[in-house]
Amino acid sequence: MTKRRLAAFSLVIALSIFSGALLSSRAQAQQTDRAKQIGGKFMCMCSCNQVLTQCNHVGCTVSASMLKELDAWVARGDSETAVTSAFVQEFGTKVYAEPPKSGLSLVAWSLPSIYLLLGTLLVIVVIWRWRSRPMPPEAVGGAPGISPQDLERARRRVAQETED
Amino acid sequence: MDVFGSFALLLAFLCAGYAFVGGIAAIRTRHPLLIKSARQAGIATCGLIFLATASLVYLFFSDSYWVSYVVAHSNRDLSTFYKIAALWSGQEGSLLFWSFLLAIYVFSVLLVYRNKNGELMPYVGVVLAGVQIFFLTLNNFVASPFKVLASMGANGALGVFTRADGNGLNPLLQYPEMVIHPPNLYSGYTGFTIPFAFALGALLARYPGEKWIHLTRKWTMIAWCFQTMGILLGAHWAYAVLGWGGYWGWDPVENASLLPWLTGTAFLHSVMMQEKRGMMKVWNVWLVFSTFMLCILGTLLTRSGVVSSVHAFAQSSIGNYFVGFLLLVFAVCLVAYVKNRDYLKSENQLDSMVSRESSFLFNNLILLVSCIAVLSGTLFPVFSEWFSGSRISVGAPFFNKVNIPIGLLLLFLTGVGPLLAWRKTSTDSLKRNFGWPLIAGLLAGAAVFALGVREFFSLVCLMLCVFVTTTIGMEFFRGARVIRSRSGASLLASAVDLTMRNTRRYGGYIVHMGMVLIFVGLAGAAFNRDAQKDMQPGSTLEIGSYKLLLQGFDSKPEKNYTSERMIVEVWRDNKPLMMLYPERRFFQTNEQSGTMVAIYSTLREDLYVVYAGQNPETQAPVIHAFLNPLVKWIWLGGLVVVLGTLVTLLPNRRAVLVLAGAPERAAAQQPQALAPSVALREGHD
Repeated sequence: MTKRRLAAFSLVIALSIFSGALLSSRAQAQQTDRAKQIGGKFMCMCSCNQVLTQCNHVGCTVSASMLKELDAWVARGDSETAVTSAFVQEFGTKVYAEPPKSGLSLVAWSLPSIYLLLGTLLVIVVIWRWRSRPMPPEAVGGAPGISPQDLERARRRVAQETED
Repeated sequence: MDVFGSFALLLAFLCAGYAFVGGIAAIRTRHPLLIKSARQAGIATCGLIFLATASLVYLFFSDSYWVSYVVAHSNRDLSTFYKIAALWSGQEGSLLFWSFLLAIYVFSVLLVYRNKNGELMPYVGVVLAGVQIFFLTLNNFVASPFKVLASMGANGALGVFTRADGNGLNPLLQYPEMVIHPPNLYSGYTGFTIPFAFALGALLARYPGEKWIHLTRKWTMIAWCFQTMGILLGAHWAYAVLGWGGYWGWDPVENASLLPWLTGTAFLHSVMMQEKRGMMKVWNVWLVFSTFMLCILGTLLTRSGVVSSVHAFAQSSIGNYFVGFLLLVFAVCLVAYVKNRDYLKSENQLDSMVSRESSFLFNNLILLVSCIAVLSGTLFPVFSEWFSGSRISVGAPFFNKVNIPIGLLLLFLTGVGPLLAWRKTSTDSLKRNFGWPLIAGLLAGAAVFALGVREFFSLVCLMLCVFVTTTIGMEFFRGARVIRSRSGASLLASAVDLTMRNTRRYGGYIVHMGMVLIFVGLAGAAFNRDAQKDMQPGSTLEIGSYKLLLQGFDSKPEKNYTSERMIVEVWRDNKPLMMLYPERRFFQTNEQSGTMVAIYSTLREDLYVVYAGQNPETQAPVIHAFLNPLVKWIWLGGLVVVLGTLVTLLPNRRAVLVLAGAPERAAAQQPQALAPSVALREGHD
């Protein structure tokens, strides 16, 4: 093997090692990100009422073991659905950080939109009803020869109704 | 002193009973002496509650370890500062503290209005006494803080037993903010009793006009201000002590404090509709009722164990009493409303969809939707357990998804509402008021986008913040410019003058500005980062532009705990910046530990460093660092909100001038006066 071939071969090996290390660290980072993203969808079961990835109670063994399990599943390449069903099987439905978008839990998701819709309808009805009311007598047309008393009353009303 | 305290509480209960029954008799007979005696019984109730509270504080200070409550929440080494906080750290003491704060409000109301509003005050006094009776029942017969430890003697007789020392205060509560946060929050909760009493009293008395609204507005503002401070101090405490890197976790107890704040905020806006236009009377009365009931519901959630929370008191049967009281209050409100609903008829009509009135309606809608969404999310685990047998948790991700769009809508209305005229807003006025703010908002959005922000909600939030800031700035600028042209003063002095002439309006704008700052801080949460690492002296952790170098550890025995600190040198851009000391504390008395987070806070971001204990596998110390952008804006916003609220409570300088000079000016200007209908339609100063 000539010196030139040896150098080329060494370069190829070095590049392979470097790119392998780069890919592996990237894969590890992706794996950590994925574990973090999935972990954000579960509650810590130490009854702290915090999301799994946010529980930072001193000496919380529950979150530590849950995160360890999660890391193992993510490293194995389990899907999010598989991780979810494993956690639900282990801890029950109280492990969800947000209700699943199915079954009874759909009620929780749909209620805010229903409130907003019904509320908007109600406001529109109220506005429509208020608009259809007859005008108060003093507001219907201003007489040209208005008395100082009436003018003062009107001024006071303007001040009262517009100062804030 | 425990006997004295118990006796004072019992007497207070009897006095409140007299104030209630005597007050009803006074309303029926209209006998002046009976009215006076009922009021004085109300004042005496408050005095006796003050004495009972002082007794409990004395028992803490004197290390009286034969009183069960003192044993459970204090110890000899606890500093005086925290012995005050121990008063409200448990169920019994916090209920007495509730009665104490309520007594301060009741005492003030009865004293301030002793010679005023003779028709209304007996009703108000009866409602206040009714609420006090409920809490005094709990203080006396359900959760007395004066119970003593008893032991059986050799002869079989029961005697008082004294412990050598107490169990100590919960470590999480041994933090300065815990001495300020609960009193603020409780002052908010209890303060909403006053508008409730006035609303119910006015309804029962069929008190004419909107006077009850004027009377209670300041009380509502005070309660709202305390509630705001309480919520923000609680958030800051969670941020600085709990060590999870956040300030709001949508915990049921946090939510419970937010619910009355939301309805209280809605009331503070819609009350203007009633004051100005005689509209929304039914709505306002029910908003006040709901706010009070939500305060009671919040207390029920905190104390009953219905929902699980780290902040809750120990699970107990006390919740049943709150359920009963809540149902009773609702029944009384409903009956009072049904019997007197004709008294609440609106007087005016609405001229246009594009008006201040409409914006208030939508503002109330958004606040109420947010309130009901938070409430139903908080209670959903309970309902899901009832219906399906399994409890489904509802955590922060759900509340964030639901409330972020609602919050942004509200922020939008914060900018829009104040610039719409009462009755009707013309197209010219819309162009004049919203042109520049819209342009500023869009430019800000483009700039933030160019800087690399791609998070949708944060982008929209920052755009809206600039939009609202511009609208508020323009309002101040326009008014101040007019004053400057007349007085020759500087623009800043003119803006101050303008604010003092109409404290309510411009104070309100300052409150809105504070809310904008809070939203800026909230927008930063989308960009939080964190890193965690096992550390040995000499090792480093990098996060953002910071490098944390662990120099070592030290340990220091304090009076009530032992502190173990990490000594961390912070570097930024390869230059040493400062030292941080994240800490763990071990409390020997109750064998508990707690964290003390080290925070380097700037307007741009917080470097938040937690000593997160030892890695269970390697036993190496763990450092958990967070980089939280813009958090400081939240606390600054809170300060501005409080400042704005205080400004709104100041007397209005212009009101005096208008009343003094109005008739002469009106007579002088008569020839060129506008027809009133025209002036009213465009009326917007």
